[in-house]
Amino acid sequence: MTQTALMATLILAPFVGFLINGFRYRKHSANVAGGIATTMAAISFICSVLLILDLMALPTESRRIVVSFFDWIRVADLKVNMSFVVDPISSIMILVITGVGSLIHLFSIGYMHHDKGVAKYFAYLNLFLFNMLLLVLGDNLLVMFVGWEGVGLCSYLLIGFWFTDQEKAAAGMKAFITNRIGDAAFILGMFILFLTFGTLNFHEINSLVPSSPEFSWLAPITLGTLFLFIGATGKSAQIPLYVWLPDAMAGPTPVSALIHAATMVTAGVYMIVRLNPLFLMAPNTLAVVAIIGAATAVLAATIGMTQWDIKKILAYSTVSQLGYMFLACGVGAFGAAMFHLMTHAFFKALMFLGSGSVIHAMHEEQDVRKMGGLKKYLPITHLTFFFGWLAIIGVPPFAGFFSKDEILWMSFQSPHGHVGLWTMGALGAALTAFYMTRLMCLTFWGKSRVPKTVHPHESPLLMTIPLMVLALLSIVGGWIGIPHVIGEVLGHIPNIWEHWLEPVIVVPTMPHAEASLEWGLMGASVLLAVISAAVAYHFYVQAPEKPKALADKIKPIYELILNKYFVDEAYFGLIINPLVRASRNIWYYVDVNFIDKTTYVISDLVRGGGGLVRGLQNGNIQQYAMYISLGVVLTLSILLMR
Amino acid sequence: MPNLDFLTEVGLTHYLILSAVIFCIGMAGVLLRRNAIVILMSIELMLNGVNITFVAFSSYLGKMEGQIMVFFVLTIAAAEAAVGLALAVAIFKRFKEVNIRFFENLKG
Amino acid sequence: MSTDAILFWILAFMTVSSALTVVLITNPIYCALSLALTMVGVSALFVTLNAYFLAGVQMIVYAGAVLVLFVMVLMLFDLKHELQAFTRGKMTGALKLASIGLLAGLIAGAILMSNGILLTKSEAFTSPDMASDTTKQLGHLIFSQYLFGFEALGVLLMVVAVGAVALSRSKGGTHAKS
Repeated sequence: MTQTALMATLILAPFVGFLINGFRYRKHSANVAGGIATTMAAISFICSVLLILDLMALPTESRRIVVSFFDWIRVADLKVNMSFVVDPISSIMILVITGVGSLIHLFSIGYMHHDKGVAKYFAYLNLFLFNMLLLVLGDNLLVMFVGWEGVGLCSYLLIGFWFTDQEKAAAGMKAFITNRIGDAAFILGMFILFLTFGTLNFHEINSLVPSSPEFSWLAPITLGTLFLFIGATGKSAQIPLYVWLPDAMAGPTPVSALIHAATMVTAGVYMIVRLNPLFLMAPNTLAVVAIIGAATAVLAATIGMTQWDIKKILAYSTVSQLGYMFLACGVGAFGAAMFHLMTHAFFKALMFLGSGSVIHAMHEEQDVRKMGGLKKYLPITHLTFFFGWLAIIGVPPFAGFFSKDEILWMSFQSPHGHVGLWTMGALGAALTAFYMTRLMCLTFWGKSRVPKTVHPHESPLLMTIPLMVLALLSIVGGWIGIPHVIGEVLGHIPNIWEHWLEPVIVVPTMPHAEASLEWGLMGASVLLAVISAAVAYHFYVQAPEKPKALADKIKPIYELILNKYFVDEAYFGLIINPLVRASRNIWYYVDVNFIDKTTYVISDLVRGGGGLVRGLQNGNIQQYAMYISLGVVLTLSILLMR
Repeated sequence: MPNLDFLTEVGLTHYLILSAVIFCIGMAGVLLRRNAIVILMSIELMLNGVNITFVAFSSYLGKMEGQIMVFFVLTIAAAEAAVGLALAVAIFKRFKEVNIRFFENLKG
Repeated sequence: MSTDAILFWILAFMTVSSALTVVLITNPIYCALSLALTMVGVSALFVTLNAYFLAGVQMIVYAGAVLVLFVMVLMLFDLKHELQAFTRGKMTGALKLASIGLLAGLIAGAILMSNGILLTKSEAFTSPDMASDTTKQLGHLIFSQYLFGFEALGVLLMVVAVGAVALSRSKGGTHAKS
């Protein structure tokens, strides 16, 4: 097959699945609908593997396959092609999207088995895949933006999938509107980049960027990248626009795994990595990105410590991990960001699916206070979740360790880094270990608090197979990016990851550092994580009464965190309510009292004027004929007078 | 001796004026009569006035097109009379009258 | 005074007086009969203008078909003298008459004012052997250059035939008491 056909199949297969399931949306058979959708996702996966094999056959410098289908827009200077690119960055993304996506489709067949709208569900899921592929494969900002909006739409549709529940529908709307704010900024950023560079093509923008920061370029690039970053905070749930993601857990759990953990929310990170030469020339933006990322990582982790809903804990964990990715971007470690993106996709998808399995077993119960001791009922889920847990808290040699360590090391050592950023990162890692251990203890270990009426049971094989595959990936996924210091000790294991990304990612020149320093920092972060995990284990398994006592002791702080720092309330009080009030006033005073009244006056004038000449139209045909003849006379006399 | 050329030498002018006179008589009928059928007749008169003009010009200029036009007008006049009379019949069935004042429901 | 001129004046008098009768007389039957007379006059005028085919058609279609239709309908209605043959209202009546008079004056004025009016008929029509040829030419033109219009007329006539039947069968249209 040619690359064009491969690319077309890769992108269109999910769309075909969407059309098929979309047209039979009333059908109830989960096996048929899920079979179609999963097949389509798998076809996409095979195509992406084939394309990446093609890519690997190319020499390192020219690893870039561009397939252009047609001219999309051609207006004056604006030339946009509907063209797609596979290069080392997007290759990783399509592997994650189609690979993890296929597994989650498979899981959904079991999870959504009894749902009435199952065909609709799979149609949305396929549509999401299609849009996500548009987003990551598009070789210019506009095609990316189409996908960007498309995944936003699918996210909205799937969060509000059970739309008969008012609260869930509202969660969908919240996600959509919050994203809208980011999208507006994204468009502004796109305008600025187009004004500056005269093109929207990634390759052209990256090659037009000056090689060193120049003063004349500083303003437009800083402004443009800042706007793009605001767009990314919307899509990737960073401060200040992260509030939608925890609410997005109203959707079905596989959706949370696919959209709100593994793929869509990483779109912002992906976009920044895509434009990494541009962001490197805007040091101020990088600083903002790093600080916001680190702050989000810590803030979300603290909230995650206090939540009781299993999915909310994972949601805040996702926000926190996304913060890590932005921290990596902000310190110029784009490779590390992509690395963490991939490993996070593995273990977070695994944990979400695992939580889905738990929720399924507990008959839609999500409160961890009513769980505990599930280890013996759900052995497979527990084991896979266990590996996910080891991966996320960063225990070597699991996937999360390598990617997180890379980020922390870079934030310490990179020329854009700072010791403060490292401290926040390490603190976040410790908090992560704490709340994830807490989740493990409350759900699987300790004494059972399961109500008598519920009898937990292990999920069917259809759901546990994806769990096992993802667990395996969470274990070995990090081995392709082993840092040099460890690699040398173990016998010259190369860092495959860095070599792969080399042609497209600018690696910052690192000041020389002693290997012992790197070993020391690595040890410190692992030690911190292990200690806080041990503390959490002690708190929630050995001495379950202690956390409550501690919470009582620092009641104000605990209350603050439990209520998510009152961010939602602050947004309501400071932005939404004033806006609603202002709109109401404008509606009343401007629209009703001014614009409407003006139009009424005009209509009254017209009506009155009509009343004056109304008598002429008296229904007497002969009078009408007379008007005609008078008109003829008038016209003729005017003609003759001349 | 007054100039009697106007009476003795008949030309295009005579035909045109004749046609104008017939047209205006027809129009007077349309404007003044109240019987719908008589109004239809007056319309026929107007059409005939116009026809005379066409034929006269055709004859004096040596062009056939005027006559073709008249041919078309004749046909359409016949059609119009048929429809008009059918309408008159319909009105008559309803009101037992064909007076034009029964059409005054078109007022605004 | 040529025979042409004498013929024209006679026919003109006949046509105008019968046309006036149509408009002024109150009995619709007489109106229809004088309309027939007008048609005959016009047809004769066509003959003086060498339009023989049209003269024949005028006789057949108007005097023959249309007028019979009028008379038929009038018979059907059985209308006698009308009480209000003319519209009422002095103002509008005056206005109407004025507009008609003005129109006639304007047209006549326009005709008389224009110079270079042709006084002799085109030679193509006057030579004796051409008399039958005009009909032939007319036929050629209708069935070649103006064929589309002719066909369209055919369609129109069919539509009218159907429409007229449908209308006269209806029970008062929108005013029907249902």
